[in-house]
Amino acid sequence: MNEQRVRMIRERMHDALAVQQLEVVDESHLHAGHAGARDGRGHFRVLVVSDAFADKSPLQRHRLIYEAMGDAMETDIHALTIQAMTPQEYQQASSG
Amino acid sequence: MDEIQQAIKEQVEAHPVILFMKGTPQFPQCGFSMRASQALAGVGVEFAYVNVLEDERIRQGVKEFGNWPTIPQLYVGGELVGGCDIILEMYESGELETLVKEAAAKQDG
Repeated sequence: MNEQRVRMIRERMHDALAVQQLEVVDESHLHAGHAGARDGRGHFRVLVVSDAFADKSPLQRHRLIYEAMGDAMETDIHALTIQAMTPQEYQQASSG
Repeated sequence: MDEIQQAIKEQVEAHPVILFMKGTPQFPQCGFSMRASQALAGVGVEFAYVNVLEDERIRQGVKEFGNWPTIPQLYVGGELVGGCDIILEMYESGELETLVKEAAAKQDG
């Protein structure tokens, strides 16, 4: 179930954003049993690196990702932990 | 605008710093809401909160209001600041403290 969701998240990110680097991690097991997990939706963490985030605030970046996810935020995803970086920021973060 | 949207708007305008969360700062019902409220508490400014678990209409309504699909949601000075990740990022960088203190000072002055 969550493997399919990870695939879907990857596809939607690639379709909507010119993604240069993408990591999607299923963290649902960390939340098993808590109130939000009972509806069956998953918890995921994404690292998205894209030029689309240049000159955008964190709020705008998250909105782009939520828009890309579309109805899946209702049907499949309970929580999405987001890191959204430009390629330059990613390079600095990984070399630092 | 329907009744629920109006009620949320009034809350957001009445409080300079308000967190829509699951549970309360004392008894948070979700890890993301817990971290968000702890960051706000760490800044040392009083903040209002709404426990969305007490009213399903607010829980859904605030997603529509903020055009933001998840909870928690922080509003400062009537504007959506973001969810848990953004709140924590801004807490780490010190931006959160600046933002909420300015908003609180405006309210007092």
